Amino acid sequence: MTSSPSETETTVHPLQEFADAVAGAVGGEAKIAFDTVKVRVAPEQWVSTLTTARDELGLVFFSFLSAVDWSAEVEVGDPPGDEVEERFELLAAVGDLGAGRRVIFTTDLAKDSPVIPSVVDVFPGANWHEREAHEMFGIEFVGHPNLANLYLPDSFMGNPLRKSYPLLSREVKPWPGNVDVEPMPGGDEETTEGPSEENPEA
Amino acid sequence: MTSFLTDLFSNFWVSLAGKLLIVALMIPLVGMVIGFAEMKLSAKMQARVGPYFAGGRWGWAQLIADGVKFFQKEDLIPAEADRPVFKLAPVLVLVSTVALLVVIPFGPDLIFRDLSVGVFFALAISSLSTIGILMAGWSSANKYSLMGGLRAAGQLIAYELPLVLAVVGAVILAETMSMAGIVEAQVSAGYPFVIFQFVGFAVFMIAALAELTRIPFDMPIAESELVMGYLTEYSGFRFLFFFLAEFANMFTLSAIAVTLFLGGWWLPGIPDDVLAYAGPLILVAKTFLLVFIMIWFRWTFPRFREDQLQSLAWKVLVPLALANIAITAVFKVVLG
Amino acid sequence: MVLDQDLVRHLSESSVSVELETEDMTLNIGPQHPSTHGVLRLVARVDGERAFDVQPVIGYMHRGYEKLAEVRSYPQITTLVNRIDWVSGYANEVPFIVAAEKLLEIEVPERAQYIRLILTEMARISSHLVFMASYPLELGAPTPLFFALRERERVLDLLEGVTGGRFHPNFNRIGGVKPAYGSGSSTRKVIQDLPAGFLAETRDAMDKVTVAVDEINSLVAGNEIILARTKGVGVLPPEVAASYGVSGPNLRASGVGFDLRKVEDYLPYHLFDFEVPVGENGDCWDRWHVRLLEIRQSVRIIQQAIDGIPSGPLQAKVPKVIKVPKGETYVRAENPKGEMGYYLVSNGAQGPYRLKIRSASFSNISILPWILEGVLIPDIIAIMGSLDFVLGDVDR
Repeated sequence: MTSSPSETETTVHPLQEFADAVAGAVGGEAKIAFDTVKVRVAPEQWVSTLTTARDELGLVFFSFLSAVDWSAEVEVGDPPGDEVEERFELLAAVGDLGAGRRVIFTTDLAKDSPVIPSVVDVFPGANWHEREAHEMFGIEFVGHPNLANLYLPDSFMGNPLRKSYPLLSREVKPWPGNVDVEPMPGGDEETTEGPSEENPEA
Repeated sequence: MTSFLTDLFSNFWVSLAGKLLIVALMIPLVGMVIGFAEMKLSAKMQARVGPYFAGGRWGWAQLIADGVKFFQKEDLIPAEADRPVFKLAPVLVLVSTVALLVVIPFGPDLIFRDLSVGVFFALAISSLSTIGILMAGWSSANKYSLMGGLRAAGQLIAYELPLVLAVVGAVILAETMSMAGIVEAQVSAGYPFVIFQFVGFAVFMIAALAELTRIPFDMPIAESELVMGYLTEYSGFRFLFFFLAEFANMFTLSAIAVTLFLGGWWLPGIPDDVLAYAGPLILVAKTFLLVFIMIWFRWTFPRFREDQLQSLAWKVLVPLALANIAITAVFKVVLG
Repeated sequence: MVLDQDLVRHLSESSVSVELETEDMTLNIGPQHPSTHGVLRLVARVDGERAFDVQPVIGYMHRGYEKLAEVRSYPQITTLVNRIDWVSGYANEVPFIVAAEKLLEIEVPERAQYIRLILTEMARISSHLVFMASYPLELGAPTPLFFALRERERVLDLLEGVTGGRFHPNFNRIGGVKPAYGSGSSTRKVIQDLPAGFLAETRDAMDKVTVAVDEINSLVAGNEIILARTKGVGVLPPEVAASYGVSGPNLRASGVGFDLRKVEDYLPYHLFDFEVPVGENGDCWDRWHVRLLEIRQSVRIIQQAIDGIPSGPLQAKVPKVIKVPKGETYVRAENPKGEMGYYLVSNGAQGPYRLKIRSASFSNISILPWILEGVLIPDIIAIMGSLDFVLGDVDR
């Protein structure tokens, strides 16, 4: 519907129309990046967003529900480069069963009290995904029938996928560096596989 | 020499001991041969080779090796099991098979004991194994075994009826219940009873498969669901008893079918004195043909679900068998 | 059938760990069980032969992939990722690498895309043949197992010839596929291509697979007992399937003609002509039949791909050390088991900041409590088998 202001600067992404329609229907802001449509809504609108998506937008297929822990300081891996807002970003991916268009709805939860209503009544498939997000991130889903641990033993303490949770094997043995191949025993260094001019990803 | 042997065996006790010895030897032998046949035949049907190493290229010693292996295993009885019942169950199943051999006529005068109610005896004794299976399932103190035992009870009781009704047609045609007498009736009539009793024969074979709890009727064992059903907790020589009993039972039930429907030890056109020696061979050959069909079915079909199994027995086989009896009786009266 | 009070108490004392109800029995199916495709535990309350309230307990194989992915670089994650759905090893790698390539905005050479497509379809055939083998075994028919696995050996041999691994090929690299023979000291300067004769042998093997699939079809599809055990059993309505996230052949058996190969662009499926088999009733029989037809369609795709494969490099030019720029994307693919997706959050480092793995079997078996309500125990096995899941896919 919208035409680009200038052809040299921006071209309209093929999904822009769809993204705007979705954002308009649920009252959020849409962003398209790398062929993925993300629509950000407020936590209060979470359940109504997914209900609208299912009933009015035809997005009946429930793909997954998960979270991302945005933290500046991390116990494992590399910290995010620029300043990030400390939050849990809850994601729910839904799609339709015709043209295969999909949307990832996101909402931001505060780090110290990640509470959000459960969407089990909207998409029954969210049951297990919410249990996993609960045990991995510590997010509380209000109204979930059985928020017990899914993967982890009952006695497990902590939320493993939080960035503040260490990886035990790295505590025991530090990160060895980005070594793809160790040298062959007794062979000379020349024969080791390593990236070369023609074969950069050896 | 021969007169000495004849005098010796005319003594009741000696001949009894001899008969017991033969029966005792037959069961493991028959069990092993049929077990080996099953291994090789199933292998052929599944693009495999089967036993290959034990006993040279043909692997004939495989089952002997298996038997020895079973005997030297530890005798494991679950802690919570009901010990006397647990120990008695395989014995009961094996005994019912062995007792069946008594009334099978192997030749014109070769029968361990010709009871005048041979058919009745055979069917009654074969249903003892049902109790053995229930005992096995119950005493194992294991939910899977219990479920297997209960399924077995339902199935075996349900299929007793078609088994019994199916033979009534042959009994009517032969006018006697003695097994030797039925074969004699087929000899004098000149044709095996299966020609008119094909329905009865089919019903008998299906019911026999169900009595043996072989696929397609092996819900009580149902390997992929109940681990081994009522056999789960059995190991070592107790398992060997069940194992042997199954194969020996295949033989005996097939032998009964051959006797009742396929003419037993008789083949048309063979003179009587040859039959005295060739009779057992003919019987065994016919029996093995039926055993082959049973093995073939086992590796081809999946298993019935319990309710489908029951509806097959009650809604299909029993009415068929009853109709068979009625028609046979009418024809017998009319045609004399 | 109601069990006696004393019997039930005796059983509860003699069995392990599970609490017992007074009227019915709680039966534990698994985690060690011949039919649960791995360590899955079902806690079922049964009343005689009828089960109600079946709760799966998963997590026996949880390996923490999402946490591990945060401390690995992209080539290292490739090795992790093809262990998720180990039956169809190659198909797990493709959406992950495509996600990384999307963030890098590099274009994969055509030849590499064709090779990826051929190998993915071979992985699909391999996975479906495992299903053809194991499903009749669960119903009690032991023979199709051998026929199907024998055919699968052909496909696995081909996969091994190209990638070096039967189950875990680890063949994708960012920008394309691995040059087939790698670079040892003497061949360091030479980039190798596919092994000689691979394409011809693949074509040959596909013909044999077609013949074998027809054989299995006639062995199984005409059998009345299998029809009686699977028709009308475990009916899954499409709305329920969609709301639970059931995907792949399970969804298509319920009548929804949705195939990610037709709508997503992770591989050039639009260049090939193939059908999407759709079932009618959504029962176990349809799930079997859809997978059988899918094998035939995969064979068709592979034959077209072999005919049309272009020449060219196997990998795009990528720097020595790969740092994927900042961005987030979700790439999903039609895996043999269903929809497999990777939500990749990258912060410019050598590894992802967050990798969410959406595995097909996880959603597929979340439907078990719904579909196993009030079902006979043999049907539990039949239904579970027809969903065709793998525990590595469920537990990640």
